[in-house]
Amino acid sequence: MKRSTKRSVDQQKSGRILGMPEQAVKIATVVVLIGIWEMLSQAGILNPLHFPRPSKLIATFWELVTVGYPTGITVWVHIKATVVRILQGYALAAVVAIPMGLAIGRSHLLLRATNPIITFARSIAVISLLPLAIVWFGVGELSRILLIAWGCFWAILTNTVQGARQVDVNYINAARMLSTSKTQLFFRVILPATLPRIFAGMKIGLGVGFMVIIAVEMVGTIKGLGALIQQARFYYSSHIAIDGMIFIGIFGLLISFTLDRLERIILPWAVGLEEVER
Amino acid sequence: MSKDGVEVLVDRITKCFGDDGMALQDVSFRLFTNEFLSIVGRSGCGKSTLLNIIAGLLSPTEGKVLINGQPIHGPGQDRGMVFQHSGLFPWLTAVENIEFGPRNRGIPRDQRRARAMELIELVRLKGFENKYPRELSGGMQQRVAIARAMAMDPKILLMDEPFGALDQLTREDMQRELLRIWETKKKTILFVTHAILEAIFLSDRVIVFNSKPGYVKKEFVIDLPRPRQKSSPQFMRYYEEIYEAIG
Amino acid sequence: MNHSGFTKGLWASWLGFIILLVIWQCIATFKLINPAVFPGPLSIVHTAIFDVPGGRLLQHIGISLFRVALGFLFGLGAGVVLGVTCGWYLKLGSILRTPIELIRPIPPLAWIPIAIIWLGLGEPSKVLIIFLGAFFPVFTNTYKGMVTIDPLVVRAAQTLGLGGTKLLLRVVVPATLPDIATGMRIGWSYCFGCMVAAELIAANSGLGYLIMNARQVGEISIIIYGVIIIGVINLITDFIIQEVLIKRKLKWQYITT
Repeated sequence: MKRSTKRSVDQQKSGRILGMPEQAVKIATVVVLIGIWEMLSQAGILNPLHFPRPSKLIATFWELVTVGYPTGITVWVHIKATVVRILQGYALAAVVAIPMGLAIGRSHLLLRATNPIITFARSIAVISLLPLAIVWFGVGELSRILLIAWGCFWAILTNTVQGARQVDVNYINAARMLSTSKTQLFFRVILPATLPRIFAGMKIGLGVGFMVIIAVEMVGTIKGLGALIQQARFYYSSHIAIDGMIFIGIFGLLISFTLDRLERIILPWAVGLEEVER
Repeated sequence: MSKDGVEVLVDRITKCFGDDGMALQDVSFRLFTNEFLSIVGRSGCGKSTLLNIIAGLLSPTEGKVLINGQPIHGPGQDRGMVFQHSGLFPWLTAVENIEFGPRNRGIPRDQRRARAMELIELVRLKGFENKYPRELSGGMQQRVAIARAMAMDPKILLMDEPFGALDQLTREDMQRELLRIWETKKKTILFVTHAILEAIFLSDRVIVFNSKPGYVKKEFVIDLPRPRQKSSPQFMRYYEEIYEAIG
Repeated sequence: MNHSGFTKGLWASWLGFIILLVIWQCIATFKLINPAVFPGPLSIVHTAIFDVPGGRLLQHIGISLFRVALGFLFGLGAGVVLGVTCGWYLKLGSILRTPIELIRPIPPLAWIPIAIIWLGLGEPSKVLIIFLGAFFPVFTNTYKGMVTIDPLVVRAAQTLGLGGTKLLLRVVVPATLPDIATGMRIGWSYCFGCMVAAELIAANSGLGYLIMNARQVGEISIIIYGVIIIGVINLITDFIIQEVLIKRKLKWQYITT
């Protein structure tokens, strides 16, 4: 069943809504919504405790950047704490998952043996391990990093396994006809052939890790973006909470943007990935 | 066409695949030096299986393949192979694909680059050496595939329906290209196809192969001077005979 | 694959699992790790049978599942309705999608604090989080499905005289169902994770709460037991959605592809 984006292409061709170019309408929508919000706050219709005015939100941005919340901990400190945790957890997960995935993917026996374990371990909600991690590893950084690593691990592993399994047998046959030793076959054929899928797994893994860290930071720490908004909750500071959420959103976008760019640089030859494992 | 030197003896090859039954049954024939031999038959796995066995990618259940009297053990430098779907490595450029074999053998960079460029010129792809396979058309990819197989300087070239995935016009271009390369480089070619016209156009000899199980049904010597005219009466006569032999 | 290879593979599946269990039990029996924090599988089974009364467990499971189902259904409904609307009325869709796309990068879990500020610690705040977990995948996939419909299908329907709402409901929406189904699957697993997180961080009932509470009173076995239960329920519900709903109702998709 062949699909095309003909309808959206048609729309892009006309590209105008109400006589204005689409981009302008989108920006206008945002501006109008914010404007309405401000007006409703002004008129007292919106509870200021729940819905702080946009002007206050902007002022809060500045406050977060300079003074910090709780006082002394600026938003940069929070961001740095979150980034460091993600990087450590993610790197740990990747370093273990990729070689393991390659080994499992290329061995029928390992694949069958580990399949049930992987399926089950994958379905354990990462967050549910938080109390266990605290018991085993304390309330420090270690538990948090391990949890993030666990969260990222499964997406990277399953995608690497699938990628390694599905290396086109044509490549392998062609390589065998070209005097390729076993080691050369692995490093020069199987590894590059699996790379796009590994990358896909890494993108998904980072997405999961990002979600996990926000929740994990809500327990037992005061530094980090998750901790920031959790603190805001305790003091009913909705302006801090909302600004924090905006920071988190921007952070998430930056991460996926960076990864997409990275993919284009590392894998210029890979176009069009197939369905990936979530 | 000389009938000495490299000689491939396919000796009573039988291949069974577990539940699927007998793919090849008692297949025997000879392949002579510098000969262009085609195997034609209906689309089915028998011909490819045979080619894979001769390549050394598969082991026969019974029988053996001898090259110059020596039995083969797996793939070797004396045989190169071109597949239907080029099998070019997408993460390497055209020239890097061609260099793949020599690189595995430890041949130094300058040498293998020079050799690869020679082959690029031979298959008439100068200017495209730094393109990735996805940037090349089907015909160009197959040319790179041929160059890649020839980079190891094999005595025998095995070709498994190499033009099967190409459109008719490109296919005919490639047939002429292949003949040119064959005549320039003096290789021995074993060519598998289901297109009878293609086989007659290219080969010195044509073997008609039965499918399921696979065995040699009949052999034809194509005694026509090259370049051959597909419309000539002698050509058409061969076509009819072979078509009937396939049954 | 021949028969002996198949059965060998089957043995391998179970063997891997069993080996893991045996290693686990050995570590516990020989007290290689402090048994207070590392109970063995037999210990867990003991806890399951004796320490957590079946009724109480089922109560927690029930509450958790109720929350997820509620949030999921809301998210599914809103996601499909908005997705179809934005996909059908493209210009309106452009406008509606703007705020949605702006909010999407914010993970549902980041909404927990503001949800509590707005709605307190009760059910509504948790259902909101779960709703968000389902909404975005469902919306995104529905919209994508709507804009990538095979135009031939639409034109064929139009030549048969269908137009307007009838065209939408009888042809376009069914054609989008596979994408909606994908969104559902993804949405459900997000929902589940959101439910556990929300319950862990701010609740006094449900499976997440059960685990967190067990930690506070030092009952490690209950924690592990709870974790396993959550995993099992996740698997079962995923299986139900995958097999029953998708494979049965969308048979036509599998046959044509």
